[in-house]
Amino acid sequence: MKKLVLPGKLESLSGIRRCAEEAASAAGLDSGRTYDLCLAIDEIATNIIVHGYEETMRSGDIGIRAEVTEGELRLILEDTSPPFDPRTLAPPKEYLDKPLEDRPIGGLGVYLALQSVDGFEYRQKGTTNCSVFTMKLGK
Amino acid sequence: MALNVSTESSGDVVKITLDGELDASVSGVFREAVEKAAVQKPKRLVMFMDKLAFMASAGLRILIFAKQKMGADVQIYVVGAQGPVLKTLQMSGFDRAVYLKDAYTD
Repeated sequence: MKKLVLPGKLESLSGIRRCAEEAASAAGLDSGRTYDLCLAIDEIATNIIVHGYEETMRSGDIGIRAEVTEGELRLILEDTSPPFDPRTLAPPKEYLDKPLEDRPIGGLGVYLALQSVDGFEYRQKGTTNCSVFTMKLGK
Repeated sequence: MALNVSTESSGDVVKITLDGELDASVSGVFREAVEKAAVQKPKRLVMFMDKLAFMASAGLRILIFAKQKMGADVQIYVVGAQGPVLKTLQMSGFDRAVYLKDAYTD
């Protein structure tokens, strides 16, 4: 799969999901795990676009590419928004037990993303943020 | 795939049907429907999700918004959610916070 580069705008989300779907299908993931991967990518991409680009008044792109290695599919999102490791945002378990009227709006996306994939890593490469989603194949 | 939102109300029940994919780029349409519904001060908000092919947390946030906007006493029903959409609701504890139903009859 070639690297796809899309503008860091919410309108790009469906294109990012279609790209993840194609990579998952080519790697042989079933429909349920394909959905999980798309959900995770969508949530992290949304955070990058909203908090990384829009709220900091920056513009930039989001790149997406896939690698298949040693029984794993890895999807890599790349962006140039301010560095941020989304793993620091995951809500505590108690949050999920609260009634809706007592829940803060937000904070669920990263939790869903991290629960939906077999592995997630964040790293910086110069000014580029790399979010790496891993799904084991044959699971 | 875009998101289509249609609303129907009768008495103190408002029904919202979602069709398509619900992500952050289109969640504003759903939010507007909930805001309009809130004006009618319904006792029950019924959301049909059987045609919803994808739902990100942007959709869950609108459910929280609905409860906070309409008050703790409003009954929120989610009807027909299937497969991964249902799993998302369950993973995030919404199965304990709203009425999850396979079908709805008045």
